[in-house]
Amino acid sequence: MLSYLAIIFSAILVNNIVFAQFLGICPFIGVSKNLDSAFGMGMAVTFVMVVATAVTWLLQHYVLLPLGVGYIQTIAFILVIAVLVQMLEIVMKKSSPGLYAALGVFLPLITTNCAVLGVAIIVAQKNFDFLYSVVYALATALGFALALALFAGIRTQLELSDVPASMRGVPVALLTAGILAMAFMGFSGITIG
Amino acid sequence: MKGLGVIYDGLIKRNPTFVLILGMCPTLGTTSTAITGLSMGLATLLVLVCSNAAISMLKNFIPDKVRIPAFIVVIASFVTIVQMVMQAWFPSLYSALGIFIPLIVVNCILLGRAEAFASKNPVGLSVCDGIGIGLGFTCALTAIGIVRELLGTGAVFGCQLYSADFGALLFVLAPGAFIVLGLLLALFNRLIIKK
Amino acid sequence: MKSTLANMMLSLTALTALAGTALGVVNILTAEPIEKASKRARSEALEAVLPTFDNDIISAAVECADGSVVYPAKLGAQDVGAAVETFSDNGFSGRINVLVGFGADGVITGYRVLAHSETPGLGAKAADWFDVEPHDIKGRSDALAVRQDGGDVDAITGATITSRAFLEAVNKAGAEYSNYKNTKR
Repeated sequence: MLSYLAIIFSAILVNNIVFAQFLGICPFIGVSKNLDSAFGMGMAVTFVMVVATAVTWLLQHYVLLPLGVGYIQTIAFILVIAVLVQMLEIVMKKSSPGLYAALGVFLPLITTNCAVLGVAIIVAQKNFDFLYSVVYALATALGFALALALFAGIRTQLELSDVPASMRGVPVALLTAGILAMAFMGFSGITIG
Repeated sequence: MKGLGVIYDGLIKRNPTFVLILGMCPTLGTTSTAITGLSMGLATLLVLVCSNAAISMLKNFIPDKVRIPAFIVVIASFVTIVQMVMQAWFPSLYSALGIFIPLIVVNCILLGRAEAFASKNPVGLSVCDGIGIGLGFTCALTAIGIVRELLGTGAVFGCQLYSADFGALLFVLAPGAFIVLGLLLALFNRLIIKK
Repeated sequence: MKSTLANMMLSLTALTALAGTALGVVNILTAEPIEKASKRARSEALEAVLPTFDNDIISAAVECADGSVVYPAKLGAQDVGAAVETFSDNGFSGRINVLVGFGADGVITGYRVLAHSETPGLGAKAADWFDVEPHDIKGRSDALAVRQDGGDVDAITGATITSRAFLEAVNKAGAEYSNYKNTKR
């Protein structure tokens, strides 16, 4: 039990996927202009990341490795993620229009979110077992959602401040992200258990 | 001559990092030194030129509705080839870039160029576009790498210019990546897109 | 091109078949160089940490219970020591893998940090910190500890936790080596 708590803590704060591992930066910069869309994106990524990690784990351990074709991992994973996202979109549209209205617009963007493919590959490389992988994916995604929400909060404030012309928009957002990353560095070295 | 114009466009006017602001993850994740930034740029350049050429050749055989999955298959194949070649002949570079090599697949620059350029233009021009955009990306990554390595460790491409004791470690670490990219972006805005 | 079910299926199948074949071919071509490259990296590290040896050290390797590996080195028929690959999980950011070379008399002849995720510029300095005066650990055969813990090894400035974990791994390597020598006798 303690080891699961340790991964959750480490994946959300110590090794935050955005601030320490540099994955999922595009949506982090692109969809953080207001808190509502940041929250929606965070939830959509959490959902997709957990399902995608579970499916690619099964694919890796029951199909690719037994057949000895580990080298097609990249191509197989990205196709599975693309198909999965498409299917989720269709299923959600039919079965829960409320959820679709909230998360639907973000779904197509997630196929090219490198955090999703990144976590699937990390889990395969580090040889985690199934439950550990799913918990790791969930915690990493929550870390992503946290980073996105924090950043969106700061950016809404930033909109109102007077910034030099050439710094406006992305440059000042990146500087802010740098300061946030510094804050997150304060968590490094903390271990549980 | 049209080819040269396309290369110039990719390098400056449509620079993927500073103007289009695409492919941020490798831009931040692999630029802690100049040499890793340069090699990541070159790996991406290679995949981009190959995938642009292949997609441009195949464009008349791919039905519209399945073009995105088809592009992804093409890009992922070239990425895997580059990955295996690096692992075989440049193992230390391969381990330095780590997960960012397979993640070239989801670099928006590649799919973006396939969709916006290679699927509409002849092979020669698509290759030029790949070279231009790829070089633009490589230059940007190398520049960020040089700044971070110099400020962080006092060296450029591993050659010590001043003692590492005076380096601000921050620039080699994660926050430095965001800060240097932000400042370079602002500089690029000021110099090139000045109104 | 206009999309019909037939041509969509046909083109995607053809494309994936083509991609699969290409990857298979490249995989066969690169399999041997990849194998060689990883072997070369391993034997370079072994040569760096050990005195001169001439046996096929990689196939002579013995695995211990906790995942450490002992590589016994021989020059002709004579034992000249061994290298031990082991790890510590108490680094600042998790596991540190080290390879430590020992002479036949049990003194440290060299080390390599094989893998780590310590902070660049701080903990990452372990790669050469313990190799140079005044914090050289070569020539030692006793249990090592940093000054903060009552030992006599200078910890890396600003990275005591990394130094502690590194020395823990080195001590563990020493223990594995004497274990190995005792069981062989």
